[in-house]
Amino acid sequence: MHHPILFLALVSVFPAAQEPGVELLAHDELTVSLHVLADTHEHVELLSIGRSRGNRAIEGVRIGPAVEGKPAILLVANLDGPRVFASGVALHHARKLAEGYATDEAIRSFLDRTNVYVLPRGNPDAAEARFDTPRSERRAGGHGVDNDRDGRFGEDGPADVDGDGAIATIRVEDPEGTWVADPTDPRAMVEADSNKGQRGRWKTYVEGRDADGDEDVAEDPAADTLVNRNFASGWEQHEPYAGLFPTDEPEALALAEFFLAHDDVALVVTYDELDNLVEAPKSVKDDAPSVKRIPPAGVLESDAALLKELGERYREATGSEAKSSEADEGTFQRFCYDHRGLLALNAVLWDMPMSDPPEEEESEEGEEETAKKEEPSDDAKRLAWIDEQGEAESWRFLDWKPFEHPELGPVEIGGFAPYARIEPPESEWDEIADEHLAFLLGLSDALARVELVECTATPLDANVWRVEAAIENNGLLPLQTRSARRTRTVRPALVKLVLPEAGELLAGRARESVSVLDGAGGREEFTWLVTGPESMEIGVTVETTHAGIAQKKAEVVR
Amino acid sequence: MIATTLLAALPPLLPLSLWAPQQAGDEGFPGLGAGRAPKVEIPWNRLYDYGELLAHMDRLVAQWPDFFSMEVIGHSVESREMRVYTLNNPATGPAESKPAMWVDGNIHGNEVQGSEAIAYLAWYLLENHGSNERVTELVDRAAFYLLPSLNPDGRDRWFEGAHSASSSRTGPQPVDSDRDGLFDEDPADDLDGDGSIVQMRKHVPGEGTHRLHPDDPRILERLPRDSDERGDWVMLGSEGTDDDGDGRINEDGVGGYDMNRAWPSLWMPEHVQRGAGPYPLYWPETRSVARFILEHPNIAAVQSFHNMGGMILRGPGAESYGSYPSADVRVYDELGKNGERMLPFYRYMIIWKDLYTVFGGLVTWTYEGLGIMSFTNELWTRDRNFPHEEQESGRGFAAFYEDRHWFDDKLLMGAGFVDWKPYDHPLYGEIEIGGFKKDVGRVPPTFLIEEMLHRNAAFCIHHAEAMPEVTIEEPVVTELDGGAKAVDVVIRNVRPIPTRTAMAASKKIGVPDVITLEGEGIEVLAGGVRTDRYRPERITLQEREPERLLRESGIGGRGELRVRWIVAGEGSATISFSGEKAIDVARRFEL
Repeated sequence: MHHPILFLALVSVFPAAQEPGVELLAHDELTVSLHVLADTHEHVELLSIGRSRGNRAIEGVRIGPAVEGKPAILLVANLDGPRVFASGVALHHARKLAEGYATDEAIRSFLDRTNVYVLPRGNPDAAEARFDTPRSERRAGGHGVDNDRDGRFGEDGPADVDGDGAIATIRVEDPEGTWVADPTDPRAMVEADSNKGQRGRWKTYVEGRDADGDEDVAEDPAADTLVNRNFASGWEQHEPYAGLFPTDEPEALALAEFFLAHDDVALVVTYDELDNLVEAPKSVKDDAPSVKRIPPAGVLESDAALLKELGERYREATGSEAKSSEADEGTFQRFCYDHRGLLALNAVLWDMPMSDPPEEEESEEGEEETAKKEEPSDDAKRLAWIDEQGEAESWRFLDWKPFEHPELGPVEIGGFAPYARIEPPESEWDEIADEHLAFLLGLSDALARVELVECTATPLDANVWRVEAAIENNGLLPLQTRSARRTRTVRPALVKLVLPEAGELLAGRARESVSVLDGAGGREEFTWLVTGPESMEIGVTVETTHAGIAQKKAEVVR
Repeated sequence: MIATTLLAALPPLLPLSLWAPQQAGDEGFPGLGAGRAPKVEIPWNRLYDYGELLAHMDRLVAQWPDFFSMEVIGHSVESREMRVYTLNNPATGPAESKPAMWVDGNIHGNEVQGSEAIAYLAWYLLENHGSNERVTELVDRAAFYLLPSLNPDGRDRWFEGAHSASSSRTGPQPVDSDRDGLFDEDPADDLDGDGSIVQMRKHVPGEGTHRLHPDDPRILERLPRDSDERGDWVMLGSEGTDDDGDGRINEDGVGGYDMNRAWPSLWMPEHVQRGAGPYPLYWPETRSVARFILEHPNIAAVQSFHNMGGMILRGPGAESYGSYPSADVRVYDELGKNGERMLPFYRYMIIWKDLYTVFGGLVTWTYEGLGIMSFTNELWTRDRNFPHEEQESGRGFAAFYEDRHWFDDKLLMGAGFVDWKPYDHPLYGEIEIGGFKKDVGRVPPTFLIEEMLHRNAAFCIHHAEAMPEVTIEEPVVTELDGGAKAVDVVIRNVRPIPTRTAMAASKKIGVPDVITLEGEGIEVLAGGVRTDRYRPERITLQEREPERLLRESGIGGRGELRVRWIVAGEGSATISFSGEKAIDVARRFEL
């Protein structure tokens, strides 16, 4: 059987300039791809936002003609190390957008109105494990703690003990075990439910040695911090995966700094381990009171309603049903929303489907047993799906094989292969990416865009004029999310009255600041009284960081 | 041994020189009426800008190059060096091998005198090492990491620029405080160019909220809101103009953040905790300090100096944290209550409960995040102006200013006050500008500075002396039936602070203490901590590696650990204790 990685290595030798499909690239190849993209397209600019702890450049591209005042979408992928497929989809988008500006009307009009920042690989060090041998889903990096409290650091990490080229799972029969083999498919391990009288028979471990002889396996790896648990919002101090302090990890710091430095970003899209599009996140009332001065966590209901609408558009565009069981404490996505007031639309792209296991042929006298037949576990259903796919996807499960473990004695090694649960079959890659690109293009209309729809001057008297102006927002999103109105991190729109030197303001404020402007036709009107010379030009301008800029003039002649 | 016994029996007034190795002119400075001249003369009755301060610190380095060293741990926003000075006696081991005390000051740029307290602490310890027994003992077993100023930019701006007592708290990194796209464009303005930012008031006969104090027209009194009387005056805030023309005055000055809201434990974003910045440790000053502290797990005590109000503060900073473990609170209480006597008019307080809520404070991070006993002292209190008088609460602002003027008139000959002068303001027209200068209110007058420095340095010494010190008693070996032996040993922490605070133990911070028994030809069969002094079989056995006992909870303050090993073999053996926050010790014995 060929492993998909081998195919990939061949494919990537020939850059598919005309029809860029999804490619999963190791860091060096990704770097070349991004540089080539920037070098060969007029409206593509290379972004270099920092370096990883392992000194890999964290790069991306900005796509679209550089025009002042254009709102931007920030697409971030692969902060969670194993989500290399997500970075492949992000790179696909970057290429399609870059190529399509010249050839595709929809892409052109999207980019003319919207800046796009694509950071395909937020966590290049961990992602590199996807291309290493042995293969493993490496999530942690950076700071490490003494997990097993023995006064030694990182002395017992995962290892490919059976030398099969993958870090899988060890299971071993043990009277203290808490796992059972699913009776409907004994390849699947499920946690024993003592409330149902189940007694655990197996222990399971990440594949590794017991290097420190403490009868635990791979329990103290050298590195523990997850880049995407190292952001400030909901940061879980003292959890090994949270890191020493928020943004201690250079990847998290680089992304936070990039994000803060780009106030044109109106919306964040992430392809990673979190979802809020397929399944609605927990929401709280807009005016839910703080408890002991701390605001309740969750999406404010006004924003949740927008998220619901966007989630429906997402599911329609992609058909995805991939949810997430991950918590969002300390993640970039939560930082964006809770602390910086921007909606982050989070997609996990794909999750392994589940099928019902085939019915076993039953003997006639087995009817009573059938009635009591157990519901297959989720993993058993995933195994059934793998089995249905035939040979091409059989790599996804490593059959349990007996192995004489140097410390544990006889064990079995097997289980889901690294990346099996998070990477779709290669035949689906391009389709998934195209559908997600379609959704992304549709977001252009969702962004708040402030338009100056009116600017008039009406004489009240020989030399007193009433100047009226109105702004409107015809995007779906409001000028500021409900969260941003709370965090006060998004700069209000500034509406300015511009008078000539000789003009004089009689009533009103020369600068109005607008934070609240609803979407879908939200409107705000302004009135000034001015006086001035016999004829003059009065201007009104509106400036925003993230929803466009505009100006209009009114001529007055006495 | 004899000397010690004798001393214990003698009255406490015995001169120090009796047990210090006496050399002519080498005793008793300072703190006693007579003594030798210091090796480095520093005037302790004044405050120094950052350059002057560092120059004094560097003089100490030059005088005691073996004991005192400097390293640059980073740079401020305006590229000033962030300097940590390490005080350590190399003859008794490198600093990292000893428990260490971290002391910082001036995190708020205008809260300056903590820096002088740090310089004083260094100077006092260096001057007295070798002559005063207590100082010698402390310096020989502990190290000090001293950061004279955490906010040198704010400090220098406060010294050099036109400021009030409370301005330049921030650092100078520009912040768009009024969210208009412009940064720091509307600061307070020294309108009359006299070097002080004071107050503006305007005479508005019959239309005001204030009236002149009947006995002292320098003071404005606010009229009660339910009064029918109309005032003749209004207060217009700090000296300044509407520089950006947005209708507000002084609303976007230099910086506009608070580096003592920037630390990672229970950090809250700007909309919950003003001044916090966009994420924890955002400013380079804070990040370089955090890294230094994290890289020195031997730090066992933390002191931060602020001003003012006369407080010895500990966390929690916010009610939502809950409460601290009672074992640690006992240590806090002991040190804090002694501090109240050492520092007259200072009160030992819990930040959120007794002062106000602070999310993301430095000392709450060092305790909640790192498990280190940590205090913030708020230096200087106006109660020192009239030490014989009971300060009545609720006398109101007018009375506050009456006292302040009385003190300024009688003791400072009026030097602290800028008298009201007319000024033609571009917006308000004819106004008056006047008020107290920046060095009134938050820092003591010169003649009271040295006392403040000494008492606060002494509190640091008291805290540092409480850092853990471990001793191993003589082991007792008992022959067991069948040839094996039991080794019983008592390991003590003779100081008030535990080797691992309850916080460190419960949050699994750092690494556990390790107690080992080793010897050639000796096999450790079992080992553990005894839980009952009289019943030797009550042991919490450690199943794995009994020769290397792990102790997550360390050894409590003034506590002891009774360890028993069952061993086979004979010969020399060594019992060792190793912990992050105490000097490692070992004891050899025969089996």
